Amino acid sequence: MAAEVIANELFPDSTITLALFRNVENVKEIRQCVMNGTFEAAILKTSMIVDPFQVIVAANKAVVHQNKVGKMMTKNVHSEILFNLSPSKNISDSFRKFGAGDTDQSVFIAVIDDKTGQTLQAIQNTVKGQQVDVDEVKQLSDLNNIKKIYKLTDAELSWSPLDALVTRIAAKDIMTI
Amino acid sequence: MERVLIKQGAEGKLYSSEFYGKPCIVKERFTKSYRHPALDKSLTTQRMKAEARALLRCRMSGIECPALYMVDIESRCIIMERVLNSVTVREYTRTLQEKDDAKNLLSLAKQIGEVLGRLHSNNIIHGDLTTSNMLIKGYGENSRIILIDFGLSYFDSVAEDKGVDLYVLERAFLSTHPNTEALFQVILDTYKDNNKTGAEDVMKKLEEIRMRGRKRTMVG
Ligand SMILES: Nc1ncnc2c1ncn2[C@@H]1O[C@H](COP(=O)(O)OP(=O)(O)OP(=O)(O)O)[C@@H](O)[C@H]1O
Ligand SMILES: [Mg+2]
Repeated sequence: MAAEVIANELFPDSTITLALFRNVENVKEIRQCVMNGTFEAAILKTSMIVDPFQVIVAANKAVVHQNKVGKMMTKNVHSEILFNLSPSKNISDSFRKFGAGDTDQSVFIAVIDDKTGQTLQAIQNTVKGQQVDVDEVKQLSDLNNIKKIYKLTDAELSWSPLDALVTRIAAKDIMTI
Repeated sequence: MERVLIKQGAEGKLYSSEFYGKPCIVKERFTKSYRHPALDKSLTTQRMKAEARALLRCRMSGIECPALYMVDIESRCIIMERVLNSVTVREYTRTLQEKDDAKNLLSLAKQIGEVLGRLHSNNIIHGDLTTSNMLIKGYGENSRIILIDFGLSYFDSVAEDKGVDLYVLERAFLSTHPNTEALFQVILDTYKDNNKTGAEDVMKKLEEIRMRGRKRTMVG
């Protein structure tokens, strides 16, 4: 199953690549590859994602901020995706909650500007698991935990949780500044 | 991103477009050359933040409004969900008035009163209540009101500010839609039912503001 490569709406030269893997046996190894610089990617916790669009909104924001001075809160565009996804202003807490855990059996991956497809290739070579359609992430989300972590209100859940989450993500820095 | 201009206003431009496949509205604010650049930037920033905050607050309080997709202060633009199959309450009211549809006008007034009562009981002041800043989706009993255009909004529990909010709507409503005094009263009555603790003070303030308004027009 192919990954999705999406052109950035605001910076057409920039791309967002999304991929989902299930039955993954080696999340620890994948995370280590990011930490030691073998490849650059956001390795996300699937249970915190309700829809690929949630990740797109966070990734788009990371790219927009990357192109502006002093807007990024973390050290690179990929860690910024994790931070943007999280309702918390605490960076390490955001990484812990939204980054894939060593014992997770699935991972959602986002890569910015993988023009040649080299990074995706490296990831595919590393992951011991099965690549599936990114939309399958909808089956892997843990809505109860999402509600708890984002502190979603019952009133807010009169509509789709996706709309609630993207609004939270888009407004995160506005609410704190 | 393909954009279609749908409104060229005094404050900015509104485009209809798509954001990663989702129908969206891009609201872009101009720089105003006659303003000092620093003041201009801070005013624009303030409005954009006000809009984003209110969209979040309303949603969290169960008041329907578009989902927010992106806020880019530097590029002066906000991207939000485009509410499909909707018309402004202004157009909808006109249609119902043309058809002499008293039943649906009445239920519309009740819906407006309800949403405004809930808005104010959550201490959200809209700042520019008009029938153009409310969308309606569906028809008659199966319709829902969606609030938009929160650039002048803020949070406050003060009755005076809520009174002003209603007064602005009253002026806009009665001038845009002739012979709607009784209908506006239905809005206020339903408002009271949906803002139980605060409505009495707000109504007092509204009355005071009306008096001031009248005095001003008599003198002027
Ligand atoms: N999210 C939306 N979905 C569908 N239609 C919309 C949406 N937002 C705005 N519109 C349409 O565009 C019109 C103008 O929008 P809006 O009131 O937000 O802009 P404005 O009046 O120019 O703003 P401002 O007063 O802040 O300068 C609305 O009356 C409505 O017809
Ligand atoms: Mg308007």
